[in-house]
This record gives sequence, C-alpha cells and structure tokens, in this order.
Amino acid sequence: MDALLLVPIALPLIGGAALLVSSFRESVSGGRRGPGAGEAAASPHWPWLGRYVAAVLGISVVSALAAAWTGEREAVLFTLLDGIPVYFRVDALGRLFVTVASVIWMLAMLFGFVYMRREGKEKRYFGFYLMLYGILMGLYFAGNLVTMYLFYELTTLASMPLVLHSGKRESIMAALKYLFYSLCGAYGGLFGIFFLHRYCGSLTFAAGGTLDPAAAQGHEGILLIAVFAALVGFGAKAGMLPLHAWLPTAHPVAPSPASAVLSAVIVKSGVLAAIRVVFYIVGPEFLRGTWVQRAWMGLALLTVFTGSLLAYRERVFKKRLAYSTVSQVSYILFGLSLLTEDAFAGALFHVAVHAAAKCGLFLTAGVFAYHFGYTKVEELAGMGKRMPGTMWCYLLLSLTLVGIPPTGGFISKWYLAEGALQSDAGAFAWLGPAVLLLSALLTAGYLLPVAMGGFFPGPRGSAEPLERREAPPAMLLPLVMLAALAVLSGIFPGGLAGYASDIAGAVLSP
Amino acid sequence: MAFVQNFPFMSIILSLFSGPLCSVLDGKRARRVNAAVIVIIGGMSICTLRYVISAGRPYVYRMGHFPAPWGNEIRVGVLEAFMACFFCAVTLLCMLGGIREREAQIEEGKQNLYYVMVNLLLCSLLALIYTNDLFTAYVFVEINTISACGLIMIRQTGRTFEAAARYMIMSLLGSGLLLLGISYLYAVTGHLLMSDIRQQVQTIAATGQYHISLMVALGLMSVGLAIKSALYPFHAWLPDAYGYSTLSSSAILSSLVSKGYIFLLVKIFYRVVGAQVVRESKVVNVLFVFGIAGMIMGSLSAIREGNLRRMIAYSSVAQIGYIYMGLGLATEAGSIASLYHVLSHGATKSLLFVAAAGLADASGGSDKYGDITGAGFRNRLAGVAFTVGSLSMVGMPMFSGFISKLLFAQAAVGHTHKMFPTVIALAISTVLNAVYFMKTVIRIYTRRPMEQAGGSGAAGPSPDAGAHAGMPGTESLPGAGRQVSLWEQPAKTAALLCFILLNLILGLNSDPIVRLIQSGFEMFE
Repeated sequence: MDALLLVPIALPLIGGAALLVSSFRESVSGGRRGPGAGEAAASPHWPWLGRYVAAVLGISVVSALAAAWTGEREAVLFTLLDGIPVYFRVDALGRLFVTVASVIWMLAMLFGFVYMRREGKEKRYFGFYLMLYGILMGLYFAGNLVTMYLFYELTTLASMPLVLHSGKRESIMAALKYLFYSLCGAYGGLFGIFFLHRYCGSLTFAAGGTLDPAAAQGHEGILLIAVFAALVGFGAKAGMLPLHAWLPTAHPVAPSPASAVLSAVIVKSGVLAAIRVVFYIVGPEFLRGTWVQRAWMGLALLTVFTGSLLAYRERVFKKRLAYSTVSQVSYILFGLSLLTEDAFAGALFHVAVHAAAKCGLFLTAGVFAYHFGYTKVEELAGMGKRMPGTMWCYLLLSLTLVGIPPTGGFISKWYLAEGALQSDAGAFAWLGPAVLLLSALLTAGYLLPVAMGGFFPGPRGSAEPLERREAPPAMLLPLVMLAALAVLSGIFPGGLAGYASDIAGAVLSP
Repeated sequence: MAFVQNFPFMSIILSLFSGPLCSVLDGKRARRVNAAVIVIIGGMSICTLRYVISAGRPYVYRMGHFPAPWGNEIRVGVLEAFMACFFCAVTLLCMLGGIREREAQIEEGKQNLYYVMVNLLLCSLLALIYTNDLFTAYVFVEINTISACGLIMIRQTGRTFEAAARYMIMSLLGSGLLLLGISYLYAVTGHLLMSDIRQQVQTIAATGQYHISLMVALGLMSVGLAIKSALYPFHAWLPDAYGYSTLSSSAILSSLVSKGYIFLLVKIFYRVVGAQVVRESKVVNVLFVFGIAGMIMGSLSAIREGNLRRMIAYSSVAQIGYIYMGLGLATEAGSIASLYHVLSHGATKSLLFVAAAGLADASGGSDKYGDITGAGFRNRLAGVAFTVGSLSMVGMPMFSGFISKLLFAQAAVGHTHKMFPTVIALAISTVLNAVYFMKTVIRIYTRRPMEQAGGSGAAGPSPDAGAHAGMPGTESLPGAGRQVSLWEQPAKTAALLCFILLNLILGLNSDPIVRLIQSGFEMFE
C-alpha cells in the first residue's frame, strides 16, 4: 500500500467535488461569445477560485509525477469481487501517459482561467476539470483490467459536463451523443473483459499478456470475437470507425479548453485501453496473423483516410480539428495493430506529439473564438496580421501534425511507416504507409491553408484595416509552450523515442 | 437449542401481532411502534444471521415440536437470515423517507391503518423467507397481496383505486395459479413440507413417473409467481400501482414485495423441486425469454414515459427482467447473480423513489418530466441521490448495478446456449437504461431560464434563456419550484444518505456479500 500513489487520484477528486458543492460565486455568463464583447464582469470571488484550482491541481500534478517517476509503487484499495481487487501500480506505459496528461492539464488550465471567464459557470467547469484529472490518474495507474474499466467509465461521466457546459440544447444533445457512444463502446470493452476473465490467468497487467494457453485451448474463436469487441468498443473513445461520430459533434459545442483536453487526453484513454487489452492481457502473439489483427488494421486505416477527407471538406474550424483528431488517433491505433516494435514505439511517440499539437490547435481556435467570435475557416483570413504570435504557433503545430521535419510528427510517422514496412502483415505492409502518406497530404491540405490565409489574406482581407491585437499572455503562454514541445520533440527525439522503444521491446519480446 | 434459534419465529409473530396493536393507537404512536418493531426484528435477524454463519449449517425450527405433517416448520439458513436483515433495513428506510408524504396524503383517521398494513406485509415477507412449508407459503402470499393492496389504496384518489383493483385482479390470478401448482404437487408427492417434497420429486423424476404432472405443477407455480412479481408481459398493473400510491408504498412495493415472490420462486426451484429437474424442464427457458423481453420492453416503455415516478416504475419491469433472466440460466452462478440483483435493485429502486419525491417536492409537488427541470439545484441531496441511483441502474462501476451486471455476465459466459442472448440483452438494456436515466439526470441539472435570469442577478434577461426555451416541455413553467434545504425533512435526508451508503457498500464491497449469498445458496441443498 503506497499512499503517495493514491494522492494524485484522491486529491483532485475531493478538491473538485468540494469546489462543486462550495459557495464560490461564479462570474456572470454576461455576454454572448462575439466580437467586441470585451472582458466579462469577473466576480470578486474569481481570484480565489483560480488560486484554489491552481493549488489543488499543482499539488496533484507534483504528486502524480513524483509517484510515477520515483520507483515502483503499488496499492490495493479493496477487493471488488472474488480475485478482482481495485489495484493501482506504476508501470512504464502509465508513466508516459501520466506525464503527457499532466503537462496538458496544467497548460489548458492556464488557458481556461482566461477563457472560462467569458463562458461563465467556472465553478462547475473547474470542479469537473479537477475531478477528471484524478480519474485519469486512476486510469493510468490502474494495475488490472477491472480497475481500468472502472476509471474508464468515470472518465466518460466526468467529461460529459465539460461538453454540455453551455447548457444550450445542441450541447446537451452532443453530450448525450458522446455518452451513448462511450457507453456502447465501454460495454464492448466489458464484453471482452467477461471473456478474458475466464480465459486469462489473471486480469493484472503484465507486459506480453497473461493469456493461459491451456484454458484458451479450443476457445480461440470466441476469444477473438471478445478481443475484437473490446477493440471496437474502446475504439469508440479513440474515435475509430464505426463509433467515431461523437467527436465532430461534441468538440465544437464544448468550450475550447475543454475540447483541447478532450482531444488531446481523453480520446487517448481509448488508446490506453486498447494497449492494455492487447499487449498486457491477451498478448500480441495471440492476435498475430488472425482476422482480428487484419480487421483492426483495416478499420484504423479506413479511419485515418476518412477522417482526413472529412476534415478537408469541413468549413467549421473546430469541427475540422475534431475530424483531424479522428484521423490522427487512428494513426496511433494503426501503429498498435501492426504488432511490431517500431510501429508500437511510433504509436506511443505519436500519443505525446498529437496531444501537444492537437491541444495547441484547439487552444488557437479558442483564441480566435474568444477575441473575434470566429468559428468558420473563411473568417480566419488575415488573422496572421492581427495575432502573429498565435498564428505562428498555429503554423508550427500544423506542421507537426502534417509531419514535416524537424517536428515531432515526422519522427512518429517515420517510426510508424518503418514499422509497417517491417511487419509481416501482407498487403497492409505497403498499403499502410501509402495511406499514411495520402492522409498527410490531406492534413497539409486542411491545416496549412488557414495559416496561409492568415498571413496572406489577399484581396479579401485587405478591405478592412487590420489592427494588431495579440492574445493575452495567459493564453499565449500555453500555446507557445505547446508549439515548443511539439517542435523540440522532433529536434531531440532521443529520450522519448528510446523510452517508447523500451516499452515496445518489453511488450513485444518479453 | 440456542435461544437465538427462536428469533425467526418470534420476528414473524411480533410483526403479526403488532398489527392489531397499531390499529387501536393513533397515527403518531402507531408510527413509533412500527419503527420500533422493524428495528427489533432487524436486530433479531442480525443475531440469527451471526448464529447461522457461526454454526455453518441451516437449522429447522418446529413450532410446538410437532413433527410433520401436523406441525409447521421454518428453516433458517444464511441466505434467509440475510434477506430478512436486508428487508428490514430497506423497509425502515422507506418508512423513514416517506413520513412527510404519508402525513399529507393519508386521511387523519387512517394513519394507523397504514402501519397495520406495513406490519402485516413485513410479517408475510418474513414468513415467505423462512417457511419450510409450501402451503404456509401460499397463505402468506395471500396476506402479502391483501396488505400490499391496502398500501396502494390508502392514498384515496381515483387513480389508486383503479391501480389497487388491477393489482388485486392480477395478483389473485397469480395466487390462483400458484395454488393450483401446489395442489398438483401435493397430489403427485403427497407432501407439503419442502424437504419431504424434494425427496419424493427426486424418486419420481428418477422413475420418470408423473413427468407431465410435475412439469405442469412447476409451470403453474412459476407463472403464478411471475405474474405476482410483474414479469413482462404481466406487468400492466405495475406502473399505476407504483406511480400513484404514497411514497413509502411505492418504495416498499417495488423493492421488497416483488422480491419476496422471487425469493419464494428460488426456494421452489432449488429446495422443493431441485436444481436437476428444473434444469431439465423447459420452464426456465420460458422465464429466460420473457426476462429478456422484459429487460428491453420495460426500458422502452420507460423512455416513452413523461412522468418521473412512472418512469422509475417501468424501469422496475426491466430490472425484474434481469432477475428472471438470471434464474432462467438455471445455473448456480445465474441464481446468485439474480439474488444479488434482488439486493441491488431493492436498494436502488427505493432510493430512486425517495429521491424522485424529493425532486418533486422542489418542483411544486409535480413529478411531470417537464417540471423537474433544474430540481437538482433546488434539492441538492435528492439530486445527488437520484444521480447515484441512476448511475447504479445504468451499471456504472462503483455502484451496485455494476456488480450485478458483472455477475450476470460471468454467469452467462460459458453457458452453451444462453451466452450470446444474455450478453447482447445486457448490452441493449444498458444503453436503454442510460437513455432515460441520464436524460433525467441532465434535466435535473439544467437550470430553468427564469432561475438563470433571477439567480445571476443580471439586469437583462440571460442570453441563454432563448436556447433553454427550445427544450421540449419547458414552455409551460409552473414556477412553483422552491428551495428545499437539507434540514427541512431530517428523516428523508437520513433515509437518502443511508440508501446512498447502502448502494456504495453493495457496489464497492460486494465480495463478502456475494460469498454470503453463495454459502447461503449452497445451504439450500
């Protein structure tokens, strides 16, 4: 029993719940988001709320990182059912996710302090924001499948209020859609767990899997169906076809910092769940060469392509970014489905890179919406003259997602393509890199024109005088840091790539 | 013989005779007597439970030491004693949660009659749990029906009379079939005592004699009890009965009365007829199919329902479906899952009813779907409690519903024919439950437009008001909502907190409880 491991889970949960029932007066949801709305009237309680949230999250993040990076830890909370305890353990994969989520959470909080003043109901937002951090830590530290499932479901519940934040009809509908997709998906995962419980030696994660060959003998067919159901189910959270449709609905209606963390971190919980099931419970060898692997690869590739295509056609900026998430997260899933070391390392690398890049992109969308009320792509023409700092960040983040060297996206896609070519996956070995390349072109096609139009508006933008109006430092700082992270991870990839390769080596050749 | 062994018999007698006592007291005193009786019985049941656990085997208690067939027997095992404890706890909490409603809805002079009914009901439930005699069981089934009818009817509106009449007709039909089944069984075996019948049935089954009669008896008893516990498609009486009676009645009826019949059916299956014969008969398959149909149809009806309490009532139809599905698996694991769900549903459904009453309280007494908008802000505890209940019903981890879902699925996995239907039905039902429960949770946490304008203190109308008016059902706002504080009804607050606690205990610490059920179930043999 290691108490330090429980602090980052319990503290934000308690802190967030306390905030929700507290009597902090919220600032008024004064103005509609729109041009010239100015600064909303902040309530006298506001600085206290900000300080409280920053303090709770700060302590949690420090304790989470301390728990993750200082040696082996494990904690059994209590026994849920016979032989299924609620069990937490630090492992290499969890460490990576904890670090990524903590960085994103701090930066998006900073951004949210400014942004949410306009949006109102900060108490509810930050209450659930804190709770969600604790739940995510529980998800990452989970040591067995049932504990992971427990926190996976809670992630859905705690992130739903962020989606329906504005309380408008469309956002409530979007939140319900998100809920149903996630629930259906989670049930698929649970379906898998039922069967794995029967055929696996234990549900405790172990690199390389815990499948009991003797027990599974003769039941391979049903076990494959169960694994497939789990993959499709957990894929719902990660935006994989056929359960991807909630993403483009939920992201545009949520406040920008909420969509940023939703896209950067929450969708990755689906990725984590898939990794845990395939590489830590079933074992990659069981799936190699089966129809499940082929179907998984096919679905992931289809999602990569479809997502990019839909993003290319989309005119609403945040919806475009949401489709881009659909596509980019499936890069990760494709990397996992290849079951080779390089591709696995590339997938993990892409988890970190995409988190930074997509969080940054949604925050830039937030800056535009906050200052000008712009949500359409066309409206962003000339934005580079008005907010050059923001636009430069946007450009760097876009280049990362496209995968242009020397950004981090290049490294991850290099590993992914390399892994695909090395794999013995038949046609997918060459089809995969081809689709990735095509999708990268589409990504460039839907992200870069915004930057080009922003810096070179052409005749359309020159009609009105463009005065410079840079975003406030609290908004710009997270953007700059995210852009720096995205680029630096490409210039100095050694540490992260080595770390990812180590995990890949551990799970694929134990 | 240890003194503790008398406790089950004493608790039945105590609740039986405190009924007449209540009838001569005034309302307030009757309430206190009733509460005291429930607490005493609960305490005695706990002692019995501890005794049976330490003894490690069940015991038979003969009334007046007359041997069968003249005497009457009760048989106490771990499961029986545990159920008795649970029933007492839930009854007490339901009574506690509904004090305000009872005082408002029941006529002054009839208050004490309510407690007569509750005592009789508890007595009959305990008797159903403990008895070892099939005919005694039938007698108490009838007492149960009469007192349940009284509980529905005591709130005197046209709706409740109609509901009570429906309930009476359906219930009597059920009892009639049960009686027919018992007489068949008596004719075939020549016994009424459960353990004696079991021996005879095994000999008959071994020789293959009277096969059809045995199946007919089993079928009649199953269908009779299925009607009484509102298995789909015999559920038509349920929404009215639960939806319009006074709060304590609906909570007790939904969480306990139907469960008493189900417990009796489990006893008939595994102690009277025997697992082997039940498994070979096709009756369980029928129950399985109708259980699954109930899970889905009940939820569909709940989705269409526009009244909060009736919605919760329809959800009971779905939950009863779960229980029959588990019984229909006809395995030990399936039955244990069903018994666990009896507990889980008992704890959750009464919580939901009490919480819904709290929400209605904060919405001008209306439980129409459109009027409870934002009620979670006006009555905080009821809002939290309703959310907990909803999450449990949907089967979210941490709450009791998740454990029963897990147990059902574990029981189904490995079952040759019924695996896929069970798992798929669980999936559909989970999603359907989520549709109406989460919809309601979101609604009670959506502020009404006026409140937003008023609560925010802004001079002009809130810009979000227009968006809210677009929600269906909010156009006609009665504006009768009021803030309900935590201390206004301390009894209800306490009941809700205990219910939430009970739910969390069942959800987080289920291992010992499942073990208890398992050991109790093994004592059936």
